[in-house]
Amino acid sequence: MKKIFLWMLIGFVIVPITTVAQGRGSVPMPTSDRIPSSLMTFFVTSEPIGNGGNLGGLAGADAHCQMLATRAGVTGKTWRAYLSTQARPGQPAINARDRIGTGPWFNAKERIPDYLNRRLQRPIIQSEIHGDTLDEARRGSNLTKEFAVTEKGELINGIGDPLPTRHDILTGSQPDGRAFTDAADHTCNNWTSNGAGSAQVGHSDRVGNGNQSWNSSHATTGCSQKDLVSWGGVGLFYCFAAE
Amino acid sequence: MELRMKIVLVLTAVLALSALAPSAAIAQYGLRGGTPMTFFVTSEPIGDGANLGGLAGADAHCQKLAQVVGAGDRTWRAYLSTQALPGQPAVNARDRIGTGPWYNFDGVMIARDLAQLHGDTIELARMGNNLTKRTGLTEKGQIVPGLNDYQVPRDSDWEYTKTTPYTNRHEMLTGSQLDGRAFPPGVDYTCNNWTSNRDPAPGGPQVLEGGPGRPNAQIGFPDRNGGGNGSWNSSHGTSGCSQTALNRTHGVGMFYCFATN
Repeated sequence: MKKIFLWMLIGFVIVPITTVAQGRGSVPMPTSDRIPSSLMTFFVTSEPIGNGGNLGGLAGADAHCQMLATRAGVTGKTWRAYLSTQARPGQPAINARDRIGTGPWFNAKERIPDYLNRRLQRPIIQSEIHGDTLDEARRGSNLTKEFAVTEKGELINGIGDPLPTRHDILTGSQPDGRAFTDAADHTCNNWTSNGAGSAQVGHSDRVGNGNQSWNSSHATTGCSQKDLVSWGGVGLFYCFAAE
Repeated sequence: MELRMKIVLVLTAVLALSALAPSAAIAQYGLRGGTPMTFFVTSEPIGDGANLGGLAGADAHCQKLAQVVGAGDRTWRAYLSTQALPGQPAVNARDRIGTGPWYNFDGVMIARDLAQLHGDTIELARMGNNLTKRTGLTEKGQIVPGLNDYQVPRDSDWEYTKTTPYTNRHEMLTGSQLDGRAFPPGVDYTCNNWTSNRDPAPGGPQVLEGGPGRPNAQIGFPDRNGGGNGSWNSSHGTSGCSQTALNRTHGVGMFYCFATN
């Protein structure tokens, strides 16, 4: 009888453990490897504004970046949200890539030393993240899930991580970082709508929708907070220090 | 008491079986997605550094691993290029693997054709293909351990990693340029067309690229994370061609296999 209970115990404990071990969850990165905050020039917002695609326009989004950076102890930088706006009568389009300066940009984390004992992550480069040449587009950039962390150095939950998924990042941009030129809405009415409309999003973990675009993977079917959540986002966006 | 024991036994059996059922289902290749597997990452290396016995040896390794999981009825090709030698033209990896589409163990499409796989136009290249850490699976359906997964201090030491299958081993031999074609002759990018396990003479510069007389192989990342770019097929070179040299930068000499039919 005792033996049976022992085997039962083994069954209850070992089987779930091995099932988990075989699973594909990732092990969280250690949190002790922050780099000096003065070096951080790129982050994903740790929290949304919370009003769907209504960010209060570009100004509201920039202020959100600035507020989060300041709260994380990073001061003296001009932060810009990576967002495009579409042309309106008397108001030209604004391209996200033209707002963020020239880079290169570093995130909030050190990495494990590599073969050459380099601890700093390779920064992201304007021409690499946008694939300005065919070779650059093919090779890709260092904007990976591990690079695209918040101002606190935290990973953004993506595909395969615990729910809710937060990897849909608002950009309103085409893959080259420029505004859309057609008549359809790709920017939740230039980031003022929390109802009708649509926003183009990228994936901070580079997974989803059969492509790896960080800035232009798919469109949402609405601009309310609920719409964004239904697509695997919460209304986060990228912030770059433009110096 | 007897009855209670029986109930306990039955319950235990049911529990054990229900826990086993999913893994039994995925143990049979292609079952989950319903689409036969036509792409995988080798679950294990040949083990002699970048000496794979040439393209033929590498193809045979693909075929053997596929056979084990019941996918041996297709023609498997290693995604490897060889460089031109006198009297011997170059072979491009992209010309060896058929026309696609290719599906992984889960039945998920990696790329619909050669153009999407390699990003032949700038629009395709910017969007990328669907080879990610979650889709770049071995023939057994395993994710290839990459950066930050299991932070094992000795994960660059082959003596340790050869018995520790979960250490970072995300560098796939390709010997190819970004477009899937061979490098021009001269500088070694293929460990002498996959026949060499030599290392550079000690004392030379610590670089991860080819150079005059320097044994080297070009690699890529199925998890798209490494080398500062994440190219799946042409990120950087190696510190040599031996098993220990490959492991120094978190490779073990694994490669991609594609079914041509």
